[in-house]
Amino acid sequence: MLKFIVRRFFLLLLTMFLVSIAVFLIVESSPGNVAKNVLGAFITPEQEASFLAQTGLDKPVYIRYLYWLIGSDWHGEMKMDMELQRITTEDDYLEWWALREDGSLVRWKLEGDDLFATVKSPDGKVRTELDNDRWTTNDQGISTFWGVDHQNHVVKWEKGTDEKVWTFIAGSGWMETSGGPTRYIPLKKGFIRGDPGVSLRTGRPVSKSIFIRLRNSLVLAGIAFVIVMPLALFLGIIAGLKEGSFKDRFLSISGMMFSVIPEFATGIFLILIFSYWLNLLPGATVFGELAPWQRPDMLILPVLTLTLIELGYVLRITRSSMAEVMRAPYIRTAFLKGLPYWRVVFRHAVRNALIAPITVIMLHVNWLMGGIVIVEVVFGYPGLGQYLLNSALYKDINALEAGTMIMVLIAVGTQLIADIIYTFLNPRIRYS
Amino acid sequence: MDSPPPIDTDTVLSVNNLSICYKTRKALVKAVRDVSFTIKRGETLGIVGESGCGKSTVSFGIVDFLGANGLITGGSVLFEGQELVGRSQKELNRLRGDRIAMVYQDPMAALNPTVRMGEQLTEVLTSHRDISLPEAKKQCVAMLKRVHMPDAEQVMDRYTHQLSGGQQQRVVIAMAMLNNPSLLIMDEPTTALDVTVEAAVLDLVEDLKRDFNTGILFISHNLGVVARVSDKVCVMYAGQVVEMGRVTELFKKPCHPYTKGLMRCVPKLGTDKAGSKLHPIPGRVPHPLKRPEDECIFVPRCNYSTDKCVQSWPGLYEVLPDHVSRCFYAEKVLKESLKEKTGNDKKAVSADAEEQPDETLLDVDNLKVYYEQQSKSIRSLFGLDEPQYVKAVDDISMEVAKGKTLGIVGESGCGKSTLVKGIIGLEEITDGDIDFLGVDIALPVDERQIETIQDIQMVFQNPDATLNPAYTVGRQIARPIRRFGTVPKNQAKAEVIRLLQAVRLGASYYDRYPRQLSGGEKQRVGIARALASRPDMVICDEPVSALDVSVQAAVLNLLLEIQKMLGTTLIFIAHDLSVVRFFSDDVAVMYLGQIMEMGPAETIYAPPYHPYTEALLSAVPIPDPEAEQKNIRLSGNVPSALNPPSGCRFHTRCPRRSMLPDNGMICETEVPPWRPVSKGHHILCHIPLDELRKIDSVVSAA
Amino acid sequence: MTSTEQTADTASLPPERTGFFKNLKNGLSVLLSSKTASVGLVIVLFWVIVALFAPLLSPYSPTEQDWRAPNQGPTLKHPLGTDELGRDLWSRLIYGARVVLIVLPISDQVWFPIGTAIWGVIASLLFGASLGLLSGYRGGWMDEIIMRLLDAMMSIPIILLYLIIVTAMGASALNVVIAIAIVGTPGVARLVRSLTLDIRTRDYIRAAETRGESTLYIMFVEILPNAKGPIIIDAMLRVGYAIFAMGTLGFLGLGLPPPSPDWGSMVAKGREFILSGSPWAALWPSIAIASLVVGLNLLADGLREETMRYQ
Repeated sequence: MLKFIVRRFFLLLLTMFLVSIAVFLIVESSPGNVAKNVLGAFITPEQEASFLAQTGLDKPVYIRYLYWLIGSDWHGEMKMDMELQRITTEDDYLEWWALREDGSLVRWKLEGDDLFATVKSPDGKVRTELDNDRWTTNDQGISTFWGVDHQNHVVKWEKGTDEKVWTFIAGSGWMETSGGPTRYIPLKKGFIRGDPGVSLRTGRPVSKSIFIRLRNSLVLAGIAFVIVMPLALFLGIIAGLKEGSFKDRFLSISGMMFSVIPEFATGIFLILIFSYWLNLLPGATVFGELAPWQRPDMLILPVLTLTLIELGYVLRITRSSMAEVMRAPYIRTAFLKGLPYWRVVFRHAVRNALIAPITVIMLHVNWLMGGIVIVEVVFGYPGLGQYLLNSALYKDINALEAGTMIMVLIAVGTQLIADIIYTFLNPRIRYS
Repeated sequence: MDSPPPIDTDTVLSVNNLSICYKTRKALVKAVRDVSFTIKRGETLGIVGESGCGKSTVSFGIVDFLGANGLITGGSVLFEGQELVGRSQKELNRLRGDRIAMVYQDPMAALNPTVRMGEQLTEVLTSHRDISLPEAKKQCVAMLKRVHMPDAEQVMDRYTHQLSGGQQQRVVIAMAMLNNPSLLIMDEPTTALDVTVEAAVLDLVEDLKRDFNTGILFISHNLGVVARVSDKVCVMYAGQVVEMGRVTELFKKPCHPYTKGLMRCVPKLGTDKAGSKLHPIPGRVPHPLKRPEDECIFVPRCNYSTDKCVQSWPGLYEVLPDHVSRCFYAEKVLKESLKEKTGNDKKAVSADAEEQPDETLLDVDNLKVYYEQQSKSIRSLFGLDEPQYVKAVDDISMEVAKGKTLGIVGESGCGKSTLVKGIIGLEEITDGDIDFLGVDIALPVDERQIETIQDIQMVFQNPDATLNPAYTVGRQIARPIRRFGTVPKNQAKAEVIRLLQAVRLGASYYDRYPRQLSGGEKQRVGIARALASRPDMVICDEPVSALDVSVQAAVLNLLLEIQKMLGTTLIFIAHDLSVVRFFSDDVAVMYLGQIMEMGPAETIYAPPYHPYTEALLSAVPIPDPEAEQKNIRLSGNVPSALNPPSGCRFHTRCPRRSMLPDNGMICETEVPPWRPVSKGHHILCHIPLDELRKIDSVVSAA
Repeated sequence: MTSTEQTADTASLPPERTGFFKNLKNGLSVLLSSKTASVGLVIVLFWVIVALFAPLLSPYSPTEQDWRAPNQGPTLKHPLGTDELGRDLWSRLIYGARVVLIVLPISDQVWFPIGTAIWGVIASLLFGASLGLLSGYRGGWMDEIIMRLLDAMMSIPIILLYLIIVTAMGASALNVVIAIAIVGTPGVARLVRSLTLDIRTRDYIRAAETRGESTLYIMFVEILPNAKGPIIIDAMLRVGYAIFAMGTLGFLGLGLPPPSPDWGSMVAKGREFILSGSPWAALWPSIAIASLVVGLNLLADGLREETMRYQ
């Protein structure tokens, strides 16, 4: 049994690895242009090239994958032959600095042919000094230097080139400078070290915005889950107790209808009924960074939509499992032992009937996430699903990868939990 | 007969004119018609009959547990003087499990897989009586001990899958006996068990009946089992009782053509094909919707029937005291039965009359078939564990002579199926040689020469699985003909029809689908398909064990006839020792992947025996209540083939070890010698032959 | 040997007539004996007929705009009303059904018969059945590799697969087919594999093996026909899922490129106008998709129940 779980765990890691590669390759091979998405349709080829170089998007796909997965700071350190450090500033920005032997941090700026070092000593004081000793000159007489710039790249400066750099600053537009670096390594720690990178769409670290979105989605799914589970299991057992009875037919057919109608259609029906005709509830959610529980009335319709869909599904699974168990010979034995009806149902039937649905339900989490995406779009709910959809449409690779990994982790993780619960519930596996 | 018998205090159950119907969408199907019988305290009534004759329906009808669509349409069920028909389920519930207990066929399915034995046992007590849990537990442990369950206390904490089949059935029986019921209903309680386990369970039933003075209703399709346990026997056919009487009477003097037919179509232990003949009952049990109300139900299959039989429905006639038969010609049947008894069987057979040098067709040498077993430890995930092997077939050598039949017997899991799969190439061989007509065929089937494939064919066990439901009979028989090109293409259809006729099915079967055939017909088509490639050897894997006895005989006869006609060599696997004895020239007895004893059939069934053969023979249920049989029971379970016992495989359970010095220490350490007994007869045992010869014959027919 | 047994044994049913129409008749009678399946059939047939004869059933083209009558409710001229560009909703609805059930548009001029959703299911059946048969029948490392890959695929949230596939390839009917096929394949493969695992233990498979038949012959001739029943019922449910998926993709703006009539995108567009007082453009396509999917499920459920009863 332990072997089984360990095996599943390795499988989980493998799945995540494969999926992350797949996403990278698919997004890579797709038509469309991130630069145009970010900067608008009217950029010049030079501007585009400069943008791609700065974001690292000009590098071959395997390098980008490697940077994304395990980070790029090690590569920068190799080039610079200095240690790199990431710090969080007081106003919550992430900055990369190189570490000098004396313990102070340093990064550089090129002005004309002069290299200026910005030094931050351990006590927090910052000063700027001329640092031209660092140039190395090769056979052709070209002086170069690998250092950290002010935009979190490890860069290669070359003395005397006329490299133009366009920097896009949100709010103020393009800034053109010349004499810029010839090569960039955008610095990040890599996904497995907890850094999913910066969103191309918002320019903010993915980890920050995704957290709020994830919280919102979990609130939505959590409420639905807490309502659905007991209700669906109960109704499923009731329906399965007497196969073919009116109660059974009513519950299974309505369950089927709820579970197969697409979420957006259910959502539209509910909006029309409750907010358009009855005018009882808000038909859309409008809270920005606010927590969803500050407007509970806006949660009702999204939760109801999710609940209906999941309720139907879980009910039907439970029902068929219960019906099957009620036909089993050991239930006949229990009746022929003269046990009271409810004892047979609770002691003998329910336990066996719940083994199958619990695993199936856990596997269904996968499907539930699809439902959440749609429900979020229908109601304009600011959750992970919408974030993911927008990132996908935008080809915002870092955000997309991070969202994907979270979803896959949840999906595969619940499967792992389902397996563990299953082995726990089923003595045949537990004791073998 | 129709008036209910007077109730005396000894009568536990009295069923009178019980009729039961099932509602289907189309019609009301009559499953049981006018069944009457009584059971006294301490008496066992056996009900026999083929499948579909309504035995189980009667047993469920007694406690009115017929499901949503079954209902009792007439008659009465008096249990200890009280009428049960028409009582509410709630009232019946009070009797079920308390005064009336039931035991069913498959103990694995009858026990709840997720509830511990202890709870399943104690709830029988706590729900019927006012009893504290510890006290109930104590009684349950005592009852488990009473049914000879080893480690009774520990068993209380176990789950179903942790017990062997025999142990599970003991738990079910203990559960039934807990409230000391006055009626115990057992429906095929040993059918799913191996023969040695079955014998032990039957002993237990006998034992309990004596001690608890319970009345038992024992249902079985197996005449031998019924003969062993019953005091009275009731024969059912197509929902009706056709004959009932005391067990010895009924077996000695059958008065109904059906009863007589049943007895004549099973081989008696010790008879063989040279000396006797099986008489199958033609036709099959009519479908419940096609049962005439006002004529004898057995007419289409009866060779006594006259016009009288279709004009009215025969009642039950008392032919002899306490012995009734539903036949107009009961007296005539009885007279003929008595006559046949004396002049039967013994055709003088000179065993060595046809002493020709046997040509060896198949020669198996030191054959081993191992499967790798998946380990459950974490270490194995990283390939650190030594791989473990299930030794399904371990070092088997044997020869099969051309035109003869080799029978292989053994209980489930002994490796007999793996052995033939190895021979036919469906199982990869780990080690050893198989030589077929001088060609080495120790290869998987896809690496064999097409001629070799064509020469070895197979007949399978399960009639419902032997034919592909998607294609017609003709197409399935034609496939091997086309594949091996046995006849030119344009003659293929004629060849198929010829084969259909050879297996006694007409050309009209060519276009039928398997779902339109009966079990026996499907087996015949399976045989025709195997013969289509004109093989030298046909392997029959339990070809009749899934069939009703009356059909069994017809299929066995067919195989014999074909062998005589074509000179085909047969390997015949079965678990029924009487059938193997009847059918085979040579017999091999297998246990845990090895052959324990092999030789001409008659030598296997007579001393000297291998101790395992002896135990098997003493366990075989014999359809003759007067036959004397030694009572040798094996203890313990069959050990795992993953880690078979050292030395002699059988040493852990051998009842004859005491015949050796030191209680057979040598059996645990040394592999026994393959001792030659007589020509072609060998025994794998440490006990000297002279000692084995001293042992008496297991069965002495009365 | 006994001559009696031959006569009696053969006295059973007359040979069954076979053929396509016989099969069709049998199938229909099974279908109609179930109330559930009959209701489902009526709903599905309604949409099939409406889609098939769409050009005859509406005077308007689905893209014809009437700028004087945007966002109208039902009127005599427009029985279901109009959308924000004044296009007739009934026309858009039935042409939308056409794309789902009857035609697969490749470009403006080129289209294939049989609807987009159905093509998706056919493709996933082809891939899934082959993989499932191979994996179930051959077993061993082949099974291990195929199943691990499919497991990995199945553990990716379905919506994510759709998103990634369609955003990568761009929105078009053909790409929707590909997305449905890719997402559906693991499920079909698993079903076929489990059926194969069961069927391959039957003796007739062993009989074929003892004849030395090839793996392909056993897979496709001996096993597949016997797995047909459950596969057909599953396929029906899958068409339902495919329509579900098409709608969802359309709703997310990943379906057919505008201005094609697409139920999902009609709902997405119509949704914006609900709160401004025009619910019709969102309501009708929602009802359409819901009824069609429910109809297919009723049909499949009834059929499954009925075939189980016959066994």
